[in-house]
Amino acid sequence: MLSTKLNLPLLAILCAARAAHAAPPDAYLLHNARVVCVSSPTLERGDVVIRKGMIEAVGVDLKAPADAWVIDATGLTVYPGFIDALSTWALPGAAPPGPTARGTSAAQPAPTAPANAPPPSKGPEDRPLSATFYRAADHISPTDPVIATMRDGGFTTAVVFPTNNIFAGQGAVIDLAGDRPGSMVVAAPAGQYLSMKTNGFSSFPGSLMGTIAYIRQLYLDADHYKLAQSIYASHPQGLQRPAYDENLEGLNASPRALLPAHRAVEIDRMLHLAEQLKLKAVLYGGEEAWRWTGPLKQSGVPVLVSLKWPERPKEADPALEDPLRILEYREKAPGTPAALAKAGVRFAFFSDGLAKPADIRKSLKRALDAGLSKDDAIRALTLSPAEIYGIADRTGSIEPGKIANLTVTSGDWFDDKTKVKFTFVDGQQYDPQPEDTKKPEDAVKTTEATN
Amino acid sequence: MKPILILATAAALSPLAYGADNSTSYFIRGATIHTMAGRDISNGSILIRDGKILGVGENLTAPADAQVIDAHGMQVYPGMIDSFTDTGLTEIEMVRETSDNSELGKFNPQLSAWMAVNPSSEHIPVTRANGITASVPVPNGSLIAGRASMIHLDGWTVDDMDLNPTVALHINMPVIRTRTFHFPEGATERPFEEVHKDYLKELQELNKFFDDAHRYEKAKAANEPGFETDLKFEAMIPVIDGKVPVMITAMREREIRDAIAFADKQKLRMILAGGAEAWKVAAELKARNIPVVLRPTLSLPEEEDDPYDKPFTTPGELYRAGVLFSFGSYDAQFSRNLPYQAAAAVPFGLPHDAAIAGVTINAAKIYGMDKKVGSIEEGKIADLMITDGDPLEEQTHVKQLFINGKQVDLNNRQLRLYEKYKSRP
Amino acid sequence: MKLFGALLCCSCCFAASTVIQNATVMTVTKGTYTGSIVIENGKIAAAGPNLPVPAGATVVDAKGKWVIPGIIDCHSHIAAESINEGSISVAAMVGIEDVLNPEDIAIYRALAGGVTSANILHGSADSIGGKCELIKLRWGKDAEGLKFQGGPPEIKFALGENPKRRGESGFGTGPQNLRYPATRMGVEDVIREAFTEAKAYQASWKEYEDKKAQGKVAIPPARDLKLEPLVEVMEGKRIVNVHCYRQDEILMILRVAHDFNFKPILQHVLEGYKVADEIAASGATASTFSDWWSYKVEAYDAIPWNAALMARKGIIVSLNSDDAELMRHLNTEAAKAMKYGDLTRDEALAMVTINPAKQLHVDHLVGSIEPGKDADLAIYDGDPLSTLSKVTQVYIDGDLYFDRDKDLAGRPEIEKERKLLITKAADRAKQDAKNAKKDTDKDKDKEKPSR
Repeated sequence: MLSTKLNLPLLAILCAARAAHAAPPDAYLLHNARVVCVSSPTLERGDVVIRKGMIEAVGVDLKAPADAWVIDATGLTVYPGFIDALSTWALPGAAPPGPTARGTSAAQPAPTAPANAPPPSKGPEDRPLSATFYRAADHISPTDPVIATMRDGGFTTAVVFPTNNIFAGQGAVIDLAGDRPGSMVVAAPAGQYLSMKTNGFSSFPGSLMGTIAYIRQLYLDADHYKLAQSIYASHPQGLQRPAYDENLEGLNASPRALLPAHRAVEIDRMLHLAEQLKLKAVLYGGEEAWRWTGPLKQSGVPVLVSLKWPERPKEADPALEDPLRILEYREKAPGTPAALAKAGVRFAFFSDGLAKPADIRKSLKRALDAGLSKDDAIRALTLSPAEIYGIADRTGSIEPGKIANLTVTSGDWFDDKTKVKFTFVDGQQYDPQPEDTKKPEDAVKTTEATN
Repeated sequence: MKPILILATAAALSPLAYGADNSTSYFIRGATIHTMAGRDISNGSILIRDGKILGVGENLTAPADAQVIDAHGMQVYPGMIDSFTDTGLTEIEMVRETSDNSELGKFNPQLSAWMAVNPSSEHIPVTRANGITASVPVPNGSLIAGRASMIHLDGWTVDDMDLNPTVALHINMPVIRTRTFHFPEGATERPFEEVHKDYLKELQELNKFFDDAHRYEKAKAANEPGFETDLKFEAMIPVIDGKVPVMITAMREREIRDAIAFADKQKLRMILAGGAEAWKVAAELKARNIPVVLRPTLSLPEEEDDPYDKPFTTPGELYRAGVLFSFGSYDAQFSRNLPYQAAAAVPFGLPHDAAIAGVTINAAKIYGMDKKVGSIEEGKIADLMITDGDPLEEQTHVKQLFINGKQVDLNNRQLRLYEKYKSRP
Repeated sequence: MKLFGALLCCSCCFAASTVIQNATVMTVTKGTYTGSIVIENGKIAAAGPNLPVPAGATVVDAKGKWVIPGIIDCHSHIAAESINEGSISVAAMVGIEDVLNPEDIAIYRALAGGVTSANILHGSADSIGGKCELIKLRWGKDAEGLKFQGGPPEIKFALGENPKRRGESGFGTGPQNLRYPATRMGVEDVIREAFTEAKAYQASWKEYEDKKAQGKVAIPPARDLKLEPLVEVMEGKRIVNVHCYRQDEILMILRVAHDFNFKPILQHVLEGYKVADEIAASGATASTFSDWWSYKVEAYDAIPWNAALMARKGIIVSLNSDDAELMRHLNTEAAKAMKYGDLTRDEALAMVTINPAKQLHVDHLVGSIEPGKDADLAIYDGDPLSTLSKVTQVYIDGDLYFDRDKDLAGRPEIEKERKLLITKAADRAKQDAKNAKKDTDKDKDKEKPSR
């Protein structure tokens, strides 16, 4: 039959792949666990059936399919795999969305031009600091050690973005396991990452307002580009041919814009910009979003809340006392998630350069201390980011039909003693790396079930 | 219109040519005299002869040879003293060639501001037209910047202008500054530990320089063969002997405390310059009799959370703490606005008299010049101004000015330009 | 004071009307009287010696106090997170409106100096700089809340030393980054070239509209955010602020203004007195310093009689600050115009109230105490033209935004809050350090048995 014929080469590839590893089972039953479904009430003693990378069934006292490998999960807790809503994991070379991407241009030293630096940009037409066309999905490194480290910390998924330009490029949702970049990508492009970088005093844009003006012009240009292309496509004769522009192509391919917004002033500014340009915007940072919940709720713009709570720099002069404005900024930032949850603003968490899963959990606990409920915290690590990126139909909660990304822990995630027992990524089980030998070269997946 | 009136008035009062010398005697009568040495005298007279004030009082009679100036309805004040200025040391701030206020090198006690003052600077007539008769130009390089001098704002040569070539040795206190801003590169941050290390090193160097000066003085006194003269250390001898005070610029509390500790350690007579946060250290300043040459009152608060009026209330706070202080413009172009720096503190708690004292007698006291200038008293140099009102008010005009007993021309480059273009056809 | 800013303006919104009584009122345009000002709905409802008090009005007894219209600073750079685009010679696409910072403490400090409106200008690094923003100092409001509603938009041009500085070798950024222009000739050229380009842009739109009207297929021109403001200038819709010093460049810009149909506000204009007749004839206005001079070569011929001399020639003259500190005492800057040039009290005060309002085309709203105008008022404890007086209260739109008594009373509160937050942060840092130590000790313990 035709279909069999066509599938032969594929089968060959699959066989080859299987030949390289011990063939793992593709059906599991997680039995008698506490199942935190997120999209539906938690099952105190529930079962989850996994098959072919997907969740097949969720319920109480499910009958184990004949071929399923049964894992007795008594006493364990199953969460949807955690999602880092913005990071550079598996994108070596992409600057983390840390201080370099932060808004205040005045505090940034101007880059010193190397000998072979490009000529100064004379305006928006030179497309300064722009790589809208750069697609994270094309640059995933499956061997990045951070993948295993974060998976061991309960993260099965990350939304990764290039970050080192004003228009840094298009992000991708990736699952944190896989041999090939292609198999890791869940959805792409996830959006366009924007920063408020400047180009120093001798190259446009040389100021924050220059950067904003440039962003505005590029979006206008992108709209015009679409229009001009379509008019030309239907009337090519007698019309001047619109020029091809890779940055406008890239911008038009990006379904949403990630905008930096840390302080209330910046949140306000970005909300206005998004409204003016009719952007489907997502704000990242959010340290002072607690002050701006009303406008955020009204705009419907979601917030990615940085888990790197602002602190007084350790190298600061001890004799210099910070003003109340800054002290409040630091003190109240962990209260943002609770405030957003209360106001009904959609938000997710992002690691913002935190390198250790333990630090991420510590940050989350400060949010809990500041009033965030555990349910809301888990939602902001699972279903909310999936919703924000438009992939809640395939991941983010424990529901039949969704991708089998699960984090299985020894207990409540916010208890210090709780450990990740194992994770499922795309229906495959991964054990944490042995603690003493956690080295980059050991960051390969384990495939055997441990029950 | 008014400037003509000023000149016309001045000319009518004084038919003699300006600027010749001080051989003319003057008898000012009918004025309210604010002597700044005891009570004000209404309807009083002042006799000026040979550059000196020969008499002040209510019942003086005019000598036959004196030029009589009828100043009824006018006010007479001592000429004002700008306690910290660039006047004469810089002409156009942005033109390096016209600036002589910052020398290279960390230790320059041998430098003296006085000799680099340009007597032809256009700033001098502009500044004195508002009643400033003397000022203290201060070298402003790094660490030991040089010696501050007191000059008259009139003279054919610097020698004419010189009141005292060395009123203080100016030291810029080493500062811990983690954040610096450079144009056009922007701000740079350095870790505290690193900056602190540099600071300690600089403080050590400063102390060592003073210790070396003591060793030099001893070696010099011993007069052994092989002793070599060193101009830097020669200049240090009057300082370490306590004859010349050190004027240490320090703004923030920590710097001020460090400066006091340094002066204590080296047993120096200290004047604090700048002193933005002197209010935090007022008790210590008072206890050690350290006077302050305040930075402009019309400044912004140091910290975001500081009260908006902190710089305005600081002079009043020092006054109430009993600290001796005066005002400086720390500038050339705005030296003429010195009285308004004093005035700005008055609505915020500084008594009016203390404000005037801060630009006259107290400046003289701080620099040890109060036997010569700063008040209208018999025997003092005749530096005074005749005004139509309170010199602390912007609207007040200086009608006549005497420096060293000589009636000084109030005309200047700006007035000439005004006259010229006002009558442009 | 920070905390109180927001509280103050809320507390008085509830009163139907406010009456300031027994004050010496300098209306600036209608003489000085002792009596009352009635404020209703943010506007001055009545002003005069004997006014009845409306029922339910809040009465403010201002016996011994003086009231003037809120001061308007026609040249300021506060409340913005960037000032100079700096990179390119025509930077008309950037705008202060995008970078307003309503949390800049300079706003409150200027408010405490009687200022109620300020013209926030782009810097002078570029021949054609960015768009400017007239604001009211509504401390405690957001960026939108700062904006002055009802005035035309503005832009900044700059002539002379500053815009040509980047053309001088030795500027520090290296020869490859030298920027045209390097001379005053070049500055004029840059401006004329830009307007010529803007005319072509204007024409391209007309051509498109014509084609469309004829039913022809056409691609619309791409919107150009750099040229649009210049088109608005030529159409008389946007005010041009021109930073200028020397008489030759003043006359140059007057010729350019004539050719491209605008009447600028000449900013600084320190040699304006040399060409006062020409300025007066052109319809341009002048905003200058009281007595700055000698800080650069082009400021060497500056004279403190400049303002008065220009005013006597019929030019509308304002005195500005260009400085966050000087801004706090523009009232006494005005008094200098009495000393230098014999202006009357009203003429002097007009230079910081009604004259800047006229220059900015908002004199129908602010600048004098007249019924129908915005209730923007500054109250002094003595003669506002005296150096020995201070501001006690400031109203904007009838709301109390600065009150010295409340400021004084609020200071301990701020200090307490600050100390509390500092202690909290220090305690947390201590706790973190302790935990970190515990973790290291634990790791050490772990190591023991295996070694």
